[in-house]
Amino acid sequence: MIYLDNSATTKPFPSVAEKIAACLSEDYFNPSALYAGGMRAKALVQEARGAILAALPGANRLVFTSGGTEADNLAIFGVAQALRGRRGSFIASAIEHPAVLSAMERLKAAGHEVFFAPVDESGVVKPNALADLVNENTALVSIMQVNNETGAIQPIAALSRAIKAKNPRALLHVDGVQGFLRCPIDLGRDGVDLYSLSAHKIHGPKGVGALALAGRPNLLPALYGGGQEEGLRSGTENVPGIAGLGEAVRAYSRLPSPGEALLKMKLRLAEGILSSVEGAAVNGPRPDEGAPHILNIGFPLRGEVLLHALEGEGILVSTGSACSNIKKTASQVLKAMALPSWRIEGAIRFSLSPQNTMNEIEETIAAAQRLSTQYRRFVRR
Amino acid sequence: MQQVLLVRMGEIFLKGDNRPQFISALVKRVRYAVKPLGGRVESVQGRIFVHDLGENAGLAERRVSRIFGVHSLSHALEVEKEMPLIEEAARELSKDLTGSFRVSARRADKRFPLDSMQLNALLGGVVLESNPALTVDVKQPEHTLTVEIREKAYLHMKKIPAVGGMPVGTDGKALLLLSGGIDSPVAGYQIAKRGVELSAIHYHSFPFTSEQAKQKVLDLAAILAEYTGPILLHVVPFTRIQQEIYDKCPESQTTILMRRFMMRIADRVAKENGCEALVTGESIGQVASQTLQSLLCTNAVCSLPVFRPLIGADKTEIMDQAQRIGSYATSILPFEDCCTIFTPRHPVTRPRLEMMEESEAKLDVETLVEEAIRGIETLRIRAALRN
Repeated sequence: MIYLDNSATTKPFPSVAEKIAACLSEDYFNPSALYAGGMRAKALVQEARGAILAALPGANRLVFTSGGTEADNLAIFGVAQALRGRRGSFIASAIEHPAVLSAMERLKAAGHEVFFAPVDESGVVKPNALADLVNENTALVSIMQVNNETGAIQPIAALSRAIKAKNPRALLHVDGVQGFLRCPIDLGRDGVDLYSLSAHKIHGPKGVGALALAGRPNLLPALYGGGQEEGLRSGTENVPGIAGLGEAVRAYSRLPSPGEALLKMKLRLAEGILSSVEGAAVNGPRPDEGAPHILNIGFPLRGEVLLHALEGEGILVSTGSACSNIKKTASQVLKAMALPSWRIEGAIRFSLSPQNTMNEIEETIAAAQRLSTQYRRFVRR
Repeated sequence: MQQVLLVRMGEIFLKGDNRPQFISALVKRVRYAVKPLGGRVESVQGRIFVHDLGENAGLAERRVSRIFGVHSLSHALEVEKEMPLIEEAARELSKDLTGSFRVSARRADKRFPLDSMQLNALLGGVVLESNPALTVDVKQPEHTLTVEIREKAYLHMKKIPAVGGMPVGTDGKALLLLSGGIDSPVAGYQIAKRGVELSAIHYHSFPFTSEQAKQKVLDLAAILAEYTGPILLHVVPFTRIQQEIYDKCPESQTTILMRRFMMRIADRVAKENGCEALVTGESIGQVASQTLQSLLCTNAVCSLPVFRPLIGADKTEIMDQAQRIGSYATSILPFEDCCTIFTPRHPVTRPRLEMMEESEAKLDVETLVEEAIRGIETLRIRAALRN
């Protein structure tokens, strides 16, 4: 099997699985308990917190959540709640993950002002267009670090400058689920107030993530209860998940220059396909300008057909984000980029991880070439 | 005092000499349905009792009420035939009720010293005395306490209607052409309701249709299996045939030609598996391939009778029935079961048989059919416990 759907989820590192097994079989105690076992569990959580803070420059506080979706929701509703009934203005880019877009729609329904910032043809938010939407009531702007479908890296530092120049009180939330560890970010330098991350996209377990805070943004919790995570996220800590996330971060950071290896594989994949499949085109930024692990290509045949044909050869890819496949609507992200419809219908997303090899990339190029030739002649007449 | 699920049989009472066979088919189905819930099934004198359900009584109700041949159910209290115990059960069942009630007793065991009238009067008095919030109304009561005196005494407050029909396995076997759509599960349901055991056949065009589309068909079969018991599902690889038709035959005929292949394969698979009929979800005029002329063309390749129970139904009627059966939500999931690449933009609506045969002369029909049948994957689909 060649797994090239790492933006959907990743295979946990072996050391992550071991860490989780130990938490479940030995240190299964409640971190709030006063005896030694409880303190060990608490230490595991703190250890993970330290590992993540060390890998995320500029973050000074971390709230563990059930994953990226909850982190996004906590940022958005947390800020909205903190307005204490006042009507605020919120902005998200048009290509955000549904965890952000749906939360924003909810705010709109609750009476807040919500704007969606447009993107250019390569899927990048323009600072000027975003700045036009900022006003004195802007409470929060949410922009992803890396787009999950196209790999487009958003110019976070420039966007932050543009926002804060118009309204210094406006907060910037960055969904870093696809960017964390794979693309550099510094919350302080880049002007980011809140940052979401998820464990299972970086070879950690599912069901755990975090919202990182820089400074002291005014935020109210979404869950109330025992007051864990400094009151921002009640509920007994998911110790195995959190420890697994911490271990994933450590293990990822130990890899020798993963970014370079990813980019090398991605560039070869892009070049190999574009030179052998007639009519194929990159959806998104130029391969060397996007994130090193995501490549979206519009093929001259239906994406699902090629996806299943590749699956038949043991090569697993995606036609867009795993979540939107179920809805069977054309990708909102690619639509927002105003691509021609054949490139949207023929879109295949390859997403790599450091666990992939150059040999797998070569096999994939050969299969994509052979299968797209075999099936492209079957088009609706 | 014991909680028991009392199961009443439907029209199988009418069936004379076959009755024992029908009852044993039904008991088998009830046993299959409650086994994962820990229920113990007992059949005595025209009633089926399920014991030991505990917390699972609600789940059992849903599962058993979907068994063809079951007429109605009641959650009953079972006690020995002694008046103090019967009175206690009557008090227990009526303790939280308000409004009007009556007692409706039936003495199936004529050796019991009190007759129905006497039981009604006596138990009515007991209930009234213990629960002052109740009044008696024998004509239009809000509540009816039913008491049945059999080997033991059974008391309950409610009769839950079930699907009726006849137990599956009492009249032969048929092969259902199961797509991922709304109609075919409903058609299968109607035929199975008459006691016919179902197998199913599905055509899969990988990579033009997805694994999810196949999983959806598996899910639909599992929903049908709640009513019919386990279903053998034959999944036929169909890509080669679609590609051949695409390459060699006129576009407007592709759907009819494809359906003729489907019927041909189904006819042969049915006979090989001891099925005596085919079942489809077709209804006249619903789509181009279901006009009378189209049906004539697709029917012509079959030797077995083809049952089309929905032939005169409107789409909305079929949708309503799919809702009741519980298959609708799964049927409308948006995975294509027939890739639109092979769907003609302007299909023939009045195909002539000679035209079809002429087009098929360009294909090696026999080899294509054999190849497809050789590639069949057969799965045994069981009812699933679900939300």
